[in-house]
Amino acid sequence: MRPHIIFRYTGFILLFNAVFLLISALVSAFYSDSALLPLLYSAIIAVLFGAFPLIYVPSAKDISNKEGFIIVVSSWLLSCLVGVIPYVLWGGEFNLTNAWFESVSGFTTTGSSVLTNVEALPFGLLFWRSATHWIGGIGIIIFALSVLPSMGRAGMILYRTEMSPLAMENFHYRTKKTLQMLVIVYVGLTLAETMGLLICGMNGFDAVTHAFATIATGGFSPKNMSIAHYQSLSMEIVVMVFMMLSGIHFGLMFAAFRGRASELWRSSVVRYYLIALATGVGVVALNIHHHPYTSWAESLRYAVFQVISLGTSTGFATTDSAIWPPFAQLVMIFFTLQCACSGSTSGGIKVDRIVIFWKGLVRRITMTRHPHAVITPKIDGAAIDSDMLEASFLYITLYIGIVFISSVILTALGVDILSAFSGSAATMGNVGPGFGTVGSMSNFSHIPDAGKWVLTLTMLLGRLEIFGLILFVTGRSWK
Amino acid sequence: MGIRAKILLGFLILATMLFLAGAWSIYELRTVGTSVQALLDDNYKSISAARKMTDALERQDSAILLLLSGNWKAGREIIQSADASFQQGFDIARNNVTIPGETAYVDEIEKAYKNFKDLWVRPIAGTGHEKKLDWYFQQVHHAFLEVKLAVERLMALNDRVMYQTATDLKNRAHRAVMPGVVAIIAALVFALVFNYFVNYYLVSPIIKVTKAIQRFFETGVPIEVKIETKDEMHRLATSLQQLMTQSQKREAV
Repeated sequence: MRPHIIFRYTGFILLFNAVFLLISALVSAFYSDSALLPLLYSAIIAVLFGAFPLIYVPSAKDISNKEGFIIVVSSWLLSCLVGVIPYVLWGGEFNLTNAWFESVSGFTTTGSSVLTNVEALPFGLLFWRSATHWIGGIGIIIFALSVLPSMGRAGMILYRTEMSPLAMENFHYRTKKTLQMLVIVYVGLTLAETMGLLICGMNGFDAVTHAFATIATGGFSPKNMSIAHYQSLSMEIVVMVFMMLSGIHFGLMFAAFRGRASELWRSSVVRYYLIALATGVGVVALNIHHHPYTSWAESLRYAVFQVISLGTSTGFATTDSAIWPPFAQLVMIFFTLQCACSGSTSGGIKVDRIVIFWKGLVRRITMTRHPHAVITPKIDGAAIDSDMLEASFLYITLYIGIVFISSVILTALGVDILSAFSGSAATMGNVGPGFGTVGSMSNFSHIPDAGKWVLTLTMLLGRLEIFGLILFVTGRSWK
Repeated sequence: MGIRAKILLGFLILATMLFLAGAWSIYELRTVGTSVQALLDDNYKSISAARKMTDALERQDSAILLLLSGNWKAGREIIQSADASFQQGFDIARNNVTIPGETAYVDEIEKAYKNFKDLWVRPIAGTGHEKKLDWYFQQVHHAFLEVKLAVERLMALNDRVMYQTATDLKNRAHRAVMPGVVAIIAALVFALVFNYFVNYYLVSPIIKVTKAIQRFFETGVPIEVKIETKDEMHRLATSLQQLMTQSQKREAV
């Protein structure tokens, strides 16, 4: 383990964050608001800390896998720490706990907030808040690697460490090409949504910040009432379309951009994702009709938006789903746990693992009937090896276990059971809102401070797909 | 980059962080000072003027009751002195319009006061109005309440703005303290990182070179020392390497 090499590469990430802090400072200067100095000072600190190791430590073209994953986890943690600085410097509702919660929620694209009045924030800070989503959306390391000059083998190791093994399945290109492709899709979708929202009549600032939050499947809105603030069907449709697209594997999205849209439907994972969303919308709309909505149009409009929002781990809202009947809430909690496809910006267990889980389950049932049968489960013709099956089962079990432990801790701290469970599931899946007192029109401000720290831990565990953070805190990894 | 420049850079970074935080804190503290002065000048002055007007109005109301009871001399004395006092308060309020929309509130007071004054400026004692309490309750008291309400509205406006300014001051005070706190924490962390680099890139190579020379004295075999950087330390190690090799060759000859 070479700590200086870790300093050097995390330095790049700090500089990358500094660029966005400077852009936010420019936004603040443009609107002449009170966030200019906090953002500028934070940017300077990030530059100083980021540039110093680059001067001292000579470049290393090769890094070990262990160093790679420590760089990846450190980069996430450091970015979250840098994100705290402008918040605590500005003040208002931000004490250290709230600032940490908001920063982690931003970078992990969770979108849960502790702010009771988002609209009281200056424009510069609102922009930074959305920018944290955008930086974290495709992964800090992936984003940085794609815009920085080639780092050779070191870059490849970092890419492999950051990218989930499931996500790599549909990327059939070399590392550099894959990185370029990811950024093209990411930036392309962001620009397209911004244009769409502008055409629908949203102002420039809101369009950009909402596009950042949608494509990253984050959920931070500069408005207290989220998308409900606008009461505009056209804006809701634009946001829904882009939430859904952001939940699809970017490799398949790139193929679709290049005219091979049929590849999307050929993927059984995407097919399951779309069918699950459609089914969810159907049953929720049926359930909320008459409770509380009187017309079918209203029921369908709110069901579509809320199911897509939670089913892609975005977390925007057009209505208060916390007042929906228990059945609709349970369906929504299922989507909060499952979320969208791997290789997208979505969080949660991910559709791919659910598909693998079912294939594994079918295999086990068949093997019980025919003990001597040789059955190889496949997805789109590709065999799922036993390693992947085991990893997926283990991941789902651990995932549910962590949600349960987090819920138990929250209830011990005095939070009611629905808020504790749905809040834990929403933060673990990087979704954002839960139900009960942490619903789509509420916030996490009333959760005790210790509970907020627990929830930020679940956000990081969810974003780093559990094992990354566990390995990081295990002492043996540092030797 | 040379060792001297690297060390200097480390200290410069520390100094920059602390200097900027200090400068910012001073700026915020100065702003707090200016805001306190503005609070006193703008809002407190208007509130004080409004209190003066209310007090004068109360005295005028009592004086009118004296006039109604036929006490002409005492009534006139009190009412004239209260009128002068009201005018003083009103002039302060008029010349201290600092809040958007405050002019409308001042104009409302002026208009209401004119209506009120029209009722008592003509003689009351010894006229048909004397002992007429109905006239007092139906017209005078009503006009008095109108002025008082207008003055209270002006006071409430200034109270609200004063509360907002005080909240801003609290935030400003927070912003004056936080850069210092952040700078101290950042400087401590930076000092640890800097110390690690100095140890790894300066102290360790010196120890390595020293050990290599000692080994050379003991064994007579030149020992290769790997230095990662391309600075003076690297040149020193290379020169010593050459020295050891040449010395070995000479001994062999």
